[in-house]
Amino acid sequence: MKEEEHLIEKEPVLKEAFASSLADTAAIAPAREERLFLLLSIFIGVISGLLVVSFRMAIDWLQVLLLGSAPGPRQPRLFIVPAVIGLVVAVLTRYVFPQVRGSGVNQTKAALYINNGYISFRTVIGKFVLSALAIGSGHSLGPEDPSLQIGAGVASLISRRMGMSRERLRLFAPIGAAAGLAAAFNAPISAILFVIEEVIGQWNAAVLGSIVLSAVSSVVVARSFWGSEPMFRIPTVTFSSRELFAYTVLGVFGGVAALIFSKALGYLRPRLRRQSAWKQMLQPGLAGLLVGGIGYFGLPQVMGAGYEVIDQAMHAQFAWKMLLLLALFKIIATTLSFSSGTPGGMFAPTLFIGAMLGAAIGAFEKLYFPHLHLTGSLASYALVGMGVLFAAFLRAPLTSVFMVLEVSGNYSIIVPVILANTIAYVISRSLQPVPIFEMLTHQDGLYLPSMEEQREESELHIEDAMQPVAVPILQGSETIADAAKSMAQYSGMEGSSAVLVDCGEGLWYAATHEELEAIFAKAEEDPAASLAMKLGTERTPILFPDLPLSSTLPHFKRWPLLPITNRAMRGALEGTVSMADVLRRYQGR
Amino acid sequence: MSRTEVSLAKRRLFLRDSLTFLLLTLVTGVLFLITLFLFRSFTSHRAELAVRWSGRGKAALDAGKPGEAMVALRTALSYAPGTRSYELLLAQALADSGHTDEASNYFMNLWVAQPGDGFINLELARLSAKRNDPANAIKYYRASVYGTWEGDGVVRRREVRLELARYLIEHKYMSAARIELLIAAGNSPSDPGLNATLADLLVQTGDIADGFSYYKKALEADPKKKEALEGAGRAAYALGNFAEAHSLLERAMESKASPEKEENAPGDLSAMLDNSRRILELRPSGKLRPVERVDRILADGAIAKKRFDGCVVKFNAASGLPPSLQQLKTRWAGSDGVMGRAVLLRSLAQQDAAVQLIFDTETEASRFCGAPTGDDALLLLLAKSPEAAER
Repeated sequence: MKEEEHLIEKEPVLKEAFASSLADTAAIAPAREERLFLLLSIFIGVISGLLVVSFRMAIDWLQVLLLGSAPGPRQPRLFIVPAVIGLVVAVLTRYVFPQVRGSGVNQTKAALYINNGYISFRTVIGKFVLSALAIGSGHSLGPEDPSLQIGAGVASLISRRMGMSRERLRLFAPIGAAAGLAAAFNAPISAILFVIEEVIGQWNAAVLGSIVLSAVSSVVVARSFWGSEPMFRIPTVTFSSRELFAYTVLGVFGGVAALIFSKALGYLRPRLRRQSAWKQMLQPGLAGLLVGGIGYFGLPQVMGAGYEVIDQAMHAQFAWKMLLLLALFKIIATTLSFSSGTPGGMFAPTLFIGAMLGAAIGAFEKLYFPHLHLTGSLASYALVGMGVLFAAFLRAPLTSVFMVLEVSGNYSIIVPVILANTIAYVISRSLQPVPIFEMLTHQDGLYLPSMEEQREESELHIEDAMQPVAVPILQGSETIADAAKSMAQYSGMEGSSAVLVDCGEGLWYAATHEELEAIFAKAEEDPAASLAMKLGTERTPILFPDLPLSSTLPHFKRWPLLPITNRAMRGALEGTVSMADVLRRYQGR
Repeated sequence: MSRTEVSLAKRRLFLRDSLTFLLLTLVTGVLFLITLFLFRSFTSHRAELAVRWSGRGKAALDAGKPGEAMVALRTALSYAPGTRSYELLLAQALADSGHTDEASNYFMNLWVAQPGDGFINLELARLSAKRNDPANAIKYYRASVYGTWEGDGVVRRREVRLELARYLIEHKYMSAARIELLIAAGNSPSDPGLNATLADLLVQTGDIADGFSYYKKALEADPKKKEALEGAGRAAYALGNFAEAHSLLERAMESKASPEKEENAPGDLSAMLDNSRRILELRPSGKLRPVERVDRILADGAIAKKRFDGCVVKFNAASGLPPSLQQLKTRWAGSDGVMGRAVLLRSLAQQDAAVQLIFDTETEASRFCGAPTGDDALLLLLAKSPEAAER
């Protein structure tokens, strides 16, 4: 199997008749897709919400069924179950659902950028069943990323059934992804931001409304089942400015922990992926055995998604040493489970590690530095810890802040969250320049757009290539004879690329010397006619210095030079740009 | 395409889209119903598991197995997060199993949400006491006393106040403990057991008089209460109320000596009884008939004189007697020391002067010649509370 095969779905080729029917539909009802778009977003949200609720139930049910209602150390099934289920999952992944390996975020991105948003129904089923089996059996993985892919798959399925065009099909993937993630997190804003930060990479007004609609619909559905309480039961969170130091320390530790986690994945995953096919089949089983071993020998908390353990940590049920141990072994367990190719996500483990680290630091500071009078409860440290790891490991800083606010329902924690997240993000970025999702796609042999790079790309603007006006300027209101006389005054500018003609009302015309000479030559034919009349009705586009430099490119086929005008004073020239100026700027000269 | 064809195609498209949406709605509805059915089954199963595990946890806690209780209650909470009764049980299990730090953390967390909860404050007080942090322990005990309690608030507050008093006594904050006990006593019903407890604690704070009165209250309701009899006897003895002490101690001894009682009366109780009996024989009470009183003064005078002579001998001629003893010697030689029966019978003032000389002699002799024994010791007791001798 090629490295990238599990990420890319083969989009079915449209039958000729269907393709022509799509074209006919577009011709008959050009506004149809626009109108259906929002309505379908709601349906996608509702169905994704229902599937995600079922998915979470399936995981919980399987966990009780496979590991018992109270998994504890020294229970032999902790060893056996993850290993056996790991083998079953590996066989099914290889022969039945080849596209379900991994978390689901990169698969959704791959579908969006490579395959017009196509995710097959089989993949949706496979992701649902195999992820539920893996997480339910104790593999250290989470349900959020699979939920994201399930949502995107639902969107893909529905939009295809509705006979939407290719352009629209591509837009539906992020809509479904947001719906799936929102239902899994019970946090619509975080889901929307994550999809924008990590999947589509930009604020796209065309799709934003639909993303919001689908995310809200799915959360409404999820809340009708789980209730409107936030994902975690957060005790009262208080904050005083003297705690900022404590949160700074947490930010530093979070950045380092994120680095260790991503280095571990970066080391182990490619090595396991390089193994032969039959060895790869054994990997989920072996990972299950090792993760089960961690549980068997004393830390069953690291098995599965671990939400109830996060809840326990928030409610101060562990001492700081235990919390640190849990964070450390969760990194090991998740690295094993994820690197083995077992389907499941990394969001929940990331939150788990962050919560344990945060609570450990909070408990340590309270225990050993009581004179600091840190007022915040352990829950606030655990919460900030979750945000810290999310920002540093998944590299979604904006989402991390809103996620903490949404899951806590408390705004007063925003200052420490921003502080700690920023520190952790900066540390992680400087020590690990390649974000985790990008690293994983590179390991799989794909080069999808890096959202972090896209966010930080500085776009060139017209003002970056704009030159002072160094060409003759004529008044369009002059007669041809007067214009010719005026032109004669610019005797030193014969070599200029064009002549700008002020056509009044803020409009300009960029004429070539040849064009002007032809007009001047025919001056006697109509002596009263103005130069503007002779130039016809076409005018140069109105461009301003702050527009993207790329926006000038389509106009050079027609115009030798483009006048750039002031936004405040209509028609007032700021400068000019030519094709050569633009190319020079792009080439960095 | 002609206009008619376009119109027809548009209608067909509209119909197709409508049918697709209808189908989508139906699919959504069916999916919703299936999910709802599964969800109900799922939640009821989780609720059952929560009840089952919390039951196991409670049973383990009652059986003194806090370790097992901890695991069971954590499991119960994972199926029913936020259930307060489970949380409190878990916190208790953590505390009982010696996980003091975890228990403190857990209770602190519960406290942040409910700082006025009596039970949480009480547990925090106990944990602070365990960690030898009296300031916090007292703070949380007080918060518990004034906190909210479910159901039996009055009783629980009183119990916490008594626990606080015990803690204060243990840390030698006697006056604070006495105040807490008096407040608790003021709000208490007339329960013999409770009055006996209050009396015990009051005596421990040094407030023997109040302690004695609560022993008496306890005995009013239950005259045969042996702890109250014993305590009251001791208190009366300490107060110098030897007649009452003798009667109470005698009753206490009787109750202890009854055949069904396995334990024997403690030696000091028996000695106290003997002493009080002897004191009653020695005390020169003004309420006695003159002849009887004079007889006792003569007997006591002989004991005191012997003690004085024995004491004076210890001082050699070179060093001389201390001034107070010298003064006593003068008094023994003077009119106060004249202890003839006839003289004493004639004058009540002479009797009182003789009694005072006896008491002063025992007091000074104990200062200079060591602790007395036997009758001298009993006379010294009488000297220390002369008004009691009159009772």
